[in-house]
Amino acid sequence: MKIEIRDLRFTYPTGLEALQGVSLVVEPGEQVAIVGQNGAGKTTLVRHFNGLLQAAAGSVLIGEWDPKKYSVAKLASRVGYVFQNPDEQLFSKDVGTEVKFGPRNLGYAKEKIDELVQRALSLTELSDKTETNPYDLSPTWRKMVALASVIAMDTPIVIFDEPTTGQDALNVARIAHVIAELRREGKTVITITHDIDFCAENFERVIAMSKGRILLDGPAREILGQEHILAQTYVDPPQLTRLGKKLGLKETVRNQVEFLEIYKNHRNK
Amino acid sequence: MHERLSYYVKRDSALHRLNPLTKIILALSIVLVSIVSPWYWTAHILLLLVIVPLSFAGRVSREYFTSAIRLILPAAGFIFLMQAFFQPIGNTVIFKYLFLDVTQESLSFAFRISTRIAVMISAFTLFLLTTHPSELMSDLTRRGLPPQFAYVIISTLQILPQMQAKAQTIIAAQRSRGLDTESTFFKRAGSVVPLVGPLVFGSLVEVEERAIAIEARGFTSKSIKTSLHEIPDSLSDKIIRWVLILLVLLSIALKIWLS
Ligand SMILES: Nc1ncnc2c1ncn2[C@@H]1O[C@H](COP(=O)(O)OP(=O)(O)O)[C@@H](O)[C@H]1O
Ligand SMILES: [Mg+2]
Repeated sequence: MKIEIRDLRFTYPTGLEALQGVSLVVEPGEQVAIVGQNGAGKTTLVRHFNGLLQAAAGSVLIGEWDPKKYSVAKLASRVGYVFQNPDEQLFSKDVGTEVKFGPRNLGYAKEKIDELVQRALSLTELSDKTETNPYDLSPTWRKMVALASVIAMDTPIVIFDEPTTGQDALNVARIAHVIAELRREGKTVITITHDIDFCAENFERVIAMSKGRILLDGPAREILGQEHILAQTYVDPPQLTRLGKKLGLKETVRNQVEFLEIYKNHRNK
Repeated sequence: MHERLSYYVKRDSALHRLNPLTKIILALSIVLVSIVSPWYWTAHILLLLVIVPLSFAGRVSREYFTSAIRLILPAAGFIFLMQAFFQPIGNTVIFKYLFLDVTQESLSFAFRISTRIAVMISAFTLFLLTTHPSELMSDLTRRGLPPQFAYVIISTLQILPQMQAKAQTIIAAQRSRGLDTESTFFKRAGSVVPLVGPLVFGSLVEVEERAIAIEARGFTSKSIKTSLHEIPDSLSDKIIRWVLILLVLLSIALKIWLS
């Protein structure tokens, strides 16, 4: 499902202009990472996609829907949004019920709900924990429950707000696996992240935001090379990218595989 | 996260600069004088010639008049009506409604009582508008108020806006999962469950974290503590306090002497 944003502006009641004219188009099935300093307006931007916030000026289209004309509950059938803090959404007495909550709200048939819940649980490696109370799990597993509870809604668009913040390496790998699986299913994934390595390894397109505007938007390879512009929004390119630059490699590298390959060619010359 | 934690309006004025204790005593003396003074017009004069000028001196007149319209006027108006109708005094009936008589005496009594109520609320409104709660508490703790007591007051003042902000986030998260909070009454009532769990649990966790955090800074330590934030208590503060106390004693003495 296509997302089209045109010259979006938003001001909080406090008078703070959090979005100052943002335009972007996300094609169906694209995987996009949004990076930028704290307070850049990333969360404010994605909250317009599922109607939690409404544009003061400019337009938002989710498919052919204008979020202003639909309730958040309706938009939930198109846009799944995983909040940053799982403790602000988990309330059920066990993981299974928690994950069922979303698809049940969307009114799917019972068989479909069971199937979606099973799939979400196995994708997040929670299948052996369905009977556990979410609050008996560690914070990292609670994060996975929050992910599962949104994935089970089977929305064409999925948004993750800082999914890797505070997670250990093992769980970051699990989250990357979930995102790869969603890509394979053809879903649009939009991820806000501060983890630039995570961004470089899992996303083809990167958007850098600063002070309510989009600074850069394009293929990860191009964006991550623009050290000086990224510095404006306090983002450092990944270590390997910077090392590649220092070594005088011609191309921007994003991960180990690319680095090794390009470095080999570079040395053989 | 951007909510106001109290009524306090941050500005620089003579009233803001007074020591918090002086301001409490000021508010209390205004209230006491308006109650014990034997003279009928005391409260009216205090309202017009003390409270209103003070609100200008504190540069909070706009905020004061807003709360006067929203809170003080309705409260005083309610008291006025109750007293005018139900005070069984006087014989000069002005008008009758069913079995209720409104007499000249009950009207004048009602006018006096409701103005006193207005003075009372006004005095404390001005106090809250110009005093930061934590400044008040540090000052009182320095003067010997148990810190546990101050903690209870401060955290009560802060917990409401914090819970409000938290509840907003939780509701947003549940709506994002398709929870219908807008249509029918039953759906709305049903949506309370997914709100209360995280709210109560989260608040309990926060209370524990806060307890640990303040204990880590020696909250219950018995030794004498110094404060980073000095709250000025000038000579003029002391003089004002004594003058106010004298005024209160004087009006009590007048009351006893005249009765
Ligand atoms: N509910 C709110 N009320 C007022 N201002 C807010 C609110 N939420 C966020 N802001 C402000 O809007 C700006 C953008 O915030 P946000 O979108 O959360 O940034 P990011 O997600 O990029 O860190 C920040 O300056 C923040 O302080
Ligand atoms: Mg954010």
